[in-house]
Amino acid sequence: MKSPDPSRRRAGLIYDLVNRVIVFFLLVVLTFALPRLMPGDPLSLLLSSDVTRELTAAEAEALRQDMGLGGSWADQFLTYCRAVLSGDLGYSFHHAAPVSQLLATALPWTGLLVLGAIPLYLIVGVLAGIEAGRVPHRRFDRIATGAMTVLASLPPFTVAVFLLLIFAVLWPVLPLGGAQPIFPAEAPLARSVEILRHALLPTVALAVHEIVRFYLLSRGEAVALSARPFLINARARGISGWRERIDYYGRNLLPVILARMSDSITVLIGAVLYVEVVFSYPGIGHLNLGAIMDRDYTLLQGAVLGLSVLVLSLNWLIDVAAALLARRG
Amino acid sequence: MTDQIRYGAAGFRRRNGLALGSAAAVFGVMAVGLVVPPYRTGRDVLQPPGPEHWLGTNDIGQDVLIGLMHAMPNTVFIAVSAALISLAAATTFACLAAIGGTLVATAVLRTVDILQVIPSILLLLLFAAWLQPGIAGIVLLLALTTWHEDVRVLRAIVLRELTRENVRYARHMGAGWSYCVTHHIVPAVWPTLVGLYVQNIRQAVMKAAGIAFLGLTDPRLTTWGSMMQDSLDHLHGDAWRWLLLPPALSLSLFLLIVLAVGQRLERQTMAGATARP
Repeated sequence: MKSPDPSRRRAGLIYDLVNRVIVFFLLVVLTFALPRLMPGDPLSLLLSSDVTRELTAAEAEALRQDMGLGGSWADQFLTYCRAVLSGDLGYSFHHAAPVSQLLATALPWTGLLVLGAIPLYLIVGVLAGIEAGRVPHRRFDRIATGAMTVLASLPPFTVAVFLLLIFAVLWPVLPLGGAQPIFPAEAPLARSVEILRHALLPTVALAVHEIVRFYLLSRGEAVALSARPFLINARARGISGWRERIDYYGRNLLPVILARMSDSITVLIGAVLYVEVVFSYPGIGHLNLGAIMDRDYTLLQGAVLGLSVLVLSLNWLIDVAAALLARRG
Repeated sequence: MTDQIRYGAAGFRRRNGLALGSAAAVFGVMAVGLVVPPYRTGRDVLQPPGPEHWLGTNDIGQDVLIGLMHAMPNTVFIAVSAALISLAAATTFACLAAIGGTLVATAVLRTVDILQVIPSILLLLLFAAWLQPGIAGIVLLLALTTWHEDVRVLRAIVLRELTRENVRYARHMGAGWSYCVTHHIVPAVWPTLVGLYVQNIRQAVMKAAGIAFLGLTDPRLTTWGSMMQDSLDHLHGDAWRWLLLPPALSLSLFLLIVLAVGQRLERQTMAGATARP
C-alpha cells in the first residue's frame, strides 16, 4: 500500500470530517422536514391518539409553542437546530421521558452488541480467510468458500431468525430475547453472566454477515500473498503454524482490513436494527422501530440523529486510526 | 477492424443468450402474478401442509403457496427495477462527472462521498416510516439509497474509454461522437454495466426484504420478506415449518440464482475479452 505524504492525508481526513458534518446537517433538515411535509400536523396526530385528554384551543396553542411548532418554518427550524445542538432532542410522550434519556439507556446495549461482534468477525473471518487462501483450492478452501457463498445469500435478518429458532426455541439453551432476566441477579458476577448469555446470540447473528465479507476479503489477499517470493522462501525455511499465519499473512493483511473497517461499522449499525428486533434486545434499533410503530416521531428523529452521530464519529475515528497505523507501518 | 467487430458481435450475442434467458425468466415470473388464484383469507387457520393446502395456511387462513406465488412477482419486480433505476442514475452521473467540467465533477463526487457515510438503512427507515411505501415507493427509495455506490467505478471506466486510442483514431478519421459512443464506448462498458446490474439486484433484494421484514412497507403488499415477518409470531409450536421456511428458502434460492447468473456472465465476458484479438 502506497502511503501518501502526511499533509495530504491530513487534508483527506479533514475532508471526510467536513463531509460528515454536512451529512449530519442534512439529516437534521430531513428529520425536521419530513414530519412537516406530511398531511396533518404532529400536534393533531398526537391528539388523535388516545394518550391525551381534550384540550382547549389556548392549551393547544401553548403546547404547540412548547413543542417548537409555532411560528413560520424558518423560526421552527432555528428552534429545532438550537435544541439539537444543545443536546435537547425533545420529549417522548409515549415513554414519558426525554428522548436523550431514552437514548442514553439504549446506547450501551447496542454498543455491547457491536463491540462484541467486531472481534468475533475479525478473528473468525480473517483467520478462516487466511487458512483458505494459504493453499487455495484445497479441501478447506472449497468447503469454507462454499459455505460462505451460501451465507452470503441469506439476508441479514434470516440468520438471526434461524439462530433464535435453533438455540432458543428448538434447543432452548439460550434466552429468547431481552438483555437480562426480568429480575436481574443481585451479585455482580451472576448478573454479568446473565447479560453475556443474553448477548451471545445477537452478537453472533450480527457478526455472521461481516464474517462473510472479511473472509472473502482476506482469502483474496491471502491467495495473492501465497504467490509472493517472501512467503515461498519462508515456507522453504520451515516456517509454519501460527507464526506463518499471524506474522506473515496477518501483518500484511492489516492495512486492507483497517481500510474496510470504517465501511464495516456503517453496515453493522444497519444490521443491528434487524438483530435487535428479532431478539427484542433493548438497544437503539429496537427503540427506533418501536418509535415507528407507535408513530412517536419525536423519538424517531432523536434516535436517527443519535444513531447517525454514533456511526459518523465511529467510522471517522477508525479512518483516523487507520491513517495513523498506516503511517507507522 | 471488421474481424474485431465480428468477434465482438459474436461475443455480444453469446453473452446475450444468458441475459435474454434471464429476462424471459423475469417476465415469466411476472406473468405468474396474473394467473394465480386470489390470496384469500379463509376459515382453515394454521393448517399444516396437506392435500387441500400444499404448503399449509397462515393465521388468517391464507394459503402459503398462493402467498409465495403472489409475493414472487412483487419481490422480483422490486429488485429488477430498483437495480435498473439506480444503475441508470449512476451511469448518468458518472458520465456527467467524466465529461463535465471540474465543477460538475467535484459536485457529483462530493455528493457521492456524502451519501457513502450515511447508513442507507437510516434513510430508508426515515422515509419508509413516513410514507409506508407500496411497490413504486419501495423501488424509488431503494434506487435513491443505492445509486451512489456505482458512480466512482463507472466514472473511472468512462474516463478510461474516452481517452483510449481507438476512440481517438475514430475521431481522427472523422467519426462523430454518436458513432464512437455506440461502436466503441458502449461495447467496452457493457460487461461492467451488466456485472454491476446483477450486484445491484442482489443488494436490492436484501434491502427490500429487510424493510418488509421490519414491517415498514404497505401492509397490503405481499413479499417474501413480509411473509417472514408474519411468521415470527409462530416460532413456538410447529407452524414455523410451513410459515417461515418456504419464504426464507425462496428468498435465499433467488439470491443464489442471481449470484450464479452473475458469475456466469462475468466468466463469459472475461473469456470474451481474452478471445478478442
